[in-house]
Amino acid sequence: MGYVFDLGSVLSGKYLDWFLIGIATTLALTVVAWCLAIAMGIILTLVRMIPFRPLGWFVALYVEYHRNVPLLVQIFLWYFGVPSLLPRPARQWINAHHGEFLLAAIALGLAAAAYVAEDIRSGIRSIPKAQYEAARSIGFGYLGAMGYVVLPQALRISVPPLINQTLLLFKNTSLAMAIGVGELTYRTREVDSYTFKTFEAFAVATAVYLAISFAIMALGSWSGTRLKLETR
Amino acid sequence: MKLFSVLGLAAALAAGLSGVARADQLADIKARGKLICGTLGTSEPFSFQHPQTREIVGYDVDICKKVADAVGVPLELKTIAVEARIPELLQGRVDILAANLGYTPERAQQIDFSYSYFVSQQKLLTTKETGITTAEGFAGKKITAIKGSSSEQGVRRLIPTAETVTFQDTSSAFLALAQDKVDGFCASELILVKLAKQSKVPMVVIEKSLFVEPWGLGLRKGEPAFKTLVNETLAKATGSGEIDKTFSKWFGPGTAFDIKRDYPIEEIKG
Repeated sequence: MGYVFDLGSVLSGKYLDWFLIGIATTLALTVVAWCLAIAMGIILTLVRMIPFRPLGWFVALYVEYHRNVPLLVQIFLWYFGVPSLLPRPARQWINAHHGEFLLAAIALGLAAAAYVAEDIRSGIRSIPKAQYEAARSIGFGYLGAMGYVVLPQALRISVPPLINQTLLLFKNTSLAMAIGVGELTYRTREVDSYTFKTFEAFAVATAVYLAISFAIMALGSWSGTRLKLETR
Repeated sequence: MKLFSVLGLAAALAAGLSGVARADQLADIKARGKLICGTLGTSEPFSFQHPQTREIVGYDVDICKKVADAVGVPLELKTIAVEARIPELLQGRVDILAANLGYTPERAQQIDFSYSYFVSQQKLLTTKETGITTAEGFAGKKITAIKGSSSEQGVRRLIPTAETVTFQDTSSAFLALAQDKVDGFCASELILVKLAKQSKVPMVVIEKSLFVEPWGLGLRKGEPAFKTLVNETLAKATGSGEIDKTFSKWFGPGTAFDIKRDYPIEEIKG
């Protein structure tokens, strides 16, 4: 008995709606977690450069925790663990406002921040220290020297590895399925369990993930060329 | 083992030589020398790990054992996830499913169901705090269920305004309810009663069933010989009172449930 590949059966009616909702949720989760990851990554990098040892240890601990504990475990910890430490009204507010989405975004964003921090740090280390010293000597403060001189160059150098992190983050959103976030993988499995068209359902998911990944890569290389500085 | 395979090969050869037997599933099982039964292993008292022996036991397992005895081969259990049940059967990794498998018309298009061997009252569990007392009270609320279960599909069908949030297993779904992440949990009454008893957060099972669902053994389509044998086994065991004995072993007096079988063992009418 040959297998009849029937894409139409999973791409029609409510199943199509489920896929579309799933794609929208995946994209939203990626964007929210990404913003958090970049913001937190920059903060971590800056904190690490403050010449006060314990702060450096703290950042190192943060990075090691998020790189060495499986992401799924981190997500479960945020979803089932952290809210129970919060006061009751905060918990109720979270539960009433799509807590699973919020907490998944936090877990994914904070984990990605550890990698982002490492990437930016490598970027900064590639800028000769003399530039920072020169900036300080003409009157910039710490933040000024970093903000106007070092970071603009360092961030550009960090773009290719950051695109890589973005891709990873995008794919990792599928783990949010485990805590009931209705993203693409969750919806795919739902379509699968209703239609029993396993092959078709996951073929659709594969195509969508690939397409979005390629789009992120294209965006990355485009911004790479746009941001490139003329070296003199 | 070796003896079995030699015997099996001989049986297969004999069958081939006789020229009448087509290689159907029943012949395959006999040739292989064991019946592979897909079961959940996480659903007390249907299929769960015995705390002392570490073996998978339960009502589902005993029913499967009767089928294996009728075929005349030993039983081999394979534990599977709720949502993987039907794919495992369709891809031939198990011969038969005894895995809390509720009848739904969608499933019946994919697989055959044996006579019903259990009828499940699908109910809703909620925390005392929500104050919900009827299924209608869940309109617009969040209800959890196990991913890929008929409970999930039942909630969608019967409380369309409710939002379903599904989890991989019973414990995650229960935890979500206990932490107020959802307002209700839909599953078989027996599972819910036990959870409500064990829960530290006060919980209640909504009295009225959301829906009633007959459970059958799952079989591949187009295997009439095996299906007939399975159904005859169930009918015979009912006639001889064996089913009642098994039922009372897991659900009768002395268990946490203390219920009697109040449904017939018969063909499921869609």
